Amino acid sequence: MPASAHLLSRIGVHPDVWQADALAGSPGRVLATGDAVLDAQLPGGGWPLGALSEILQPPGVYSEWRLLLPALARCGTGAVVLVGAPQIPFGPALGAQGLLPQRLLWVAGQAGAQRLWATEQALRCADVDAVLAWLVQVRPEQLRRLQMAAAEYDKLFFVLRPEQAQNESSPAVLRLWVAPTADQSDALEVRALKRRGPPLTQALRLAARPARLAQLLVASQMDVAPTLVATRTALPPEGAHFTLGRPGGEISPTLVAARTALPPGETGSGDALDRTAACA
Amino acid sequence: MHWIALQPAPDTALAGAQGEASLADAATAWAWWALQFTPLVARMEAALVMEVSGSERLFGGRAALLDQILKPNWPLVPVECAQGATSLIAFGRLQCAGRQARGDADAMPADALPLHTLVAARAHLPTLARLGLRTWGQLCALPRGGLVRRFGAGLVDALDCAYGQRAEVYPWVILPEVFDAPLELSASVETASALLFGARRLLAQLQVWLRARQRGVLALELLWELDARRSNALHVDAHHSGAGQGRLVLRTAQATQDMQHLARLLGEQLAQVTLPAPVLYLRLRSLQTQPLAGESVSLLPDDVRQGDSLHQLLERLSARLGAEQVRCATLHADHRPERMQRWSVAVNAAQAGSAKGLGFAIKSGAACAHSTGAGGQNDSKNIQESALYPTWLLATPLRLTVHQGNPQYQGPLTLLAGPQRLESGWLEGDAALRDYYVARSATAGLVWVYRERLGAKGAGVGIQAQACWYLHGLFA
Repeated sequence: MPASAHLLSRIGVHPDVWQADALAGSPGRVLATGDAVLDAQLPGGGWPLGALSEILQPPGVYSEWRLLLPALARCGTGAVVLVGAPQIPFGPALGAQGLLPQRLLWVAGQAGAQRLWATEQALRCADVDAVLAWLVQVRPEQLRRLQMAAAEYDKLFFVLRPEQAQNESSPAVLRLWVAPTADQSDALEVRALKRRGPPLTQALRLAARPARLAQLLVASQMDVAPTLVATRTALPPEGAHFTLGRPGGEISPTLVAARTALPPGETGSGDALDRTAACA
Repeated sequence: MHWIALQPAPDTALAGAQGEASLADAATAWAWWALQFTPLVARMEAALVMEVSGSERLFGGRAALLDQILKPNWPLVPVECAQGATSLIAFGRLQCAGRQARGDADAMPADALPLHTLVAARAHLPTLARLGLRTWGQLCALPRGGLVRRFGAGLVDALDCAYGQRAEVYPWVILPEVFDAPLELSASVETASALLFGARRLLAQLQVWLRARQRGVLALELLWELDARRSNALHVDAHHSGAGQGRLVLRTAQATQDMQHLARLLGEQLAQVTLPAPVLYLRLRSLQTQPLAGESVSLLPDDVRQGDSLHQLLERLSARLGAEQVRCATLHADHRPERMQRWSVAVNAAQAGSAKGLGFAIKSGAACAHSTGAGGQNDSKNIQESALYPTWLLATPLRLTVHQGNPQYQGPLTLLAGPQRLESGWLEGDAALRDYYVARSATAGLVWVYRERLGAKGAGVGIQAQACWYLHGLFA
C-alpha cells in the first residue's frame, strides 16, 4: 500500500482523490475534535472546516455537546449559532467547558423552512464561527445548498438529525451516528456512516465527559461501605444549602454517599456533588 | 468668481439607469452630490450652476476640481460642462456646447453668445429677432432706458447679472437637516411587499443624502398614504379618523449607509404588513442619524473575513422570524438553574450596546471572559462547580412518574450522585426547595433530576411517599 500511495503522489493526482483503503489526505482545514481516538479516524485529523458534518442521534437522546464542545470552545471567539435547539442550552455548564455563553446565539425557528433560511444566513455572516442546526425534515438538495454556503464562508458547520435519516442520501462530507453506550460505563458510541476513507467497521468508544463530571461518575461506581457516609459538612453558601449524605433517610437505601477519589489538591473546596457519591 | 454649469448629456436618462437602484428624485440628489464641491449650488432649468472660486484651492486648482467633478463616480455620467465668469455666461456656454466642441464653447466670448441662451430674454425672442438682435453683445449695446421701457426691467437686470455688474442671488440648494422625501407611485400598489420597489428608490435617495452629510442612519420611517376612494366603507371611516396612513419604523443597531441591508430589512417587515387599501404615495423620513466614523481597513487582505456583520445577521433574522426567536444569553448570579441565565432578545441587547451585549462579547471575547470573572479564585471555583451542571436545561421541569419510590424517565432511573440541596428564592415568594441528583437512564444517558423537598409548598410531613420528582436537565 505505501508503494502505491507513493506512486499516486508521484503521478500527481488531485488531492481530493484518495485510495479506497486510506483516509483522504488533505480535506482542507480541520479542527481537532479534542479526542485522540476520534481524531485518528477522521480525514485530516479533525472536524472539517467549511463543510457540512452530519450527526445522527436516536430520538430523545442527546449527546451532541459531549461530542462537539471541545471543538466549539476552540474554534475562535465569534458567535456560535444554534438553530432550532431542542432544549435550552445551559450557559453555566457550557461556559465551564470552555464555550462562553456570550458567544451563543439561539435561533428558535419552528418551521423547517425557517430553520434552513436562518442556517444559511448564519453561515453567510462573517462574525459567526460555528453553526449547529437541528433539522428534522430536510431534503438532500437543501442540505447541498447549506454545504455550498459553508464551503464558501469556511465555517464549522454541524447538522443534527434523527437517526432515521441515515438511509437518506446526504451531501455531507462526514456523517456520524452518536449515542451513549448501552452498558453502564457512560461512554459515547460513535459510528462513522460516511467519511472520506474506508468504512469504519467498529464503533468508537469515547469518554467525552468533562473531567470533573467524570471523576464524580467514577466515584459513584466505587462500592463503598455505608459506614463511610461522609462526616464532613460544608458551610453552605448564602442562599443555598448543600448537605452531605442522605437527606432524612427517606430516599432508597441503596443511595449512599462516599468520599470520592479526588486528588488531594481538589478536595478543599466545592460542593456536595463532587465530594459525595452514591452507588446503586 | 468662477462658475461651472453642469447638465446631463441629452442621451443620459436622469433616472440614472446605470446605477443599481434608481433615485426617487434624481435632480435633487444630483444637486446634493454637487454640494461636496462648493456650498453655492443652484438649479437653473435642467442644469446646475456652482460657484467654485472659493473651493478651487482646496481641490488643488481649477483643473483638478474639474477632474473631480467629471470623474465617473456618479451614475449620471456623461455630463456636459461649461465654465464662465458668471453663472449666466457658464449656463449660456453650456447651451451652446451641444453644438460645438467643449473647448470652443468655453472660449466663446460672452458678447457672442446667442440670445436664446439667456433665460430672461426667451419670452421676447421673436421681437428681438425682428429687431435684428442675435447675440448678447448686440442687446447690451442698446440704450438701457429704451430696453427697460420696451422689455421690462427683468431683461436689463439679467444682462447686468450676466456681465457681472450685479450680484447673482439664487435660491441656493441646501442639504436638509432631516431627510424627508415623498414619492408618488406610478400606479396604485395593492400589496405591501410591492411597496418595496418604491421604497428602494427612496432608499437610494437617502443614501445620497447620507453620503453628503457623512452620516449613517439608525432609524427611519416609511409612511404610506392609502387611497381612500378605492377602499371600502370601513376603511373610509378609518381614513377620516386619521388612520388613512400606514407607517413602518425601521431600526438598525449600527449607523449605516448600506442600503442593501436596509432594503432587506424593509422587505422582511413589509412582508408582514397587509394593506387595507391601495397605496399611491410613499414617504421616507430619517428619524435618527449619527456621524459615521471612518472604517479602518486591515493592512493584510487575508484578515478581512467575507460575509455580513453580526448585527446585520441579528436584524435580518429578527425581522423575519420575530425578535423573540433570536436570543442571546446573559448569566446571572442565582442558585436556581432556571435563573442562572437569561435568554434575552438579541436585537435589543445589540441595540442597547451594553457591555454585556453580544457584539461586545464577540469583539473582545477573551477580554470579556476575563472581566466577568472579577473575583479570580471565586470564578475558577464557580467554573468547577458549573462543570457538574447539565448542558441542556428543560424549559419547564418535567414531572416524572414514580414507581416503587424510583423516578422513571424512559425506564427506571439510577441515582448516581447527590443530593445537591438547593434552598433559594424564598425572598421572592417562590421558594425552591430541591435536592438535585445526577441519574442515569438506560436509554437517555445521564439526566439531572430533582426531588421537590417536602414542606416546600406547605406539604405535611406525613405524605413522604408522594415526593415529586422532576427532570430538569440532560447531560448531553
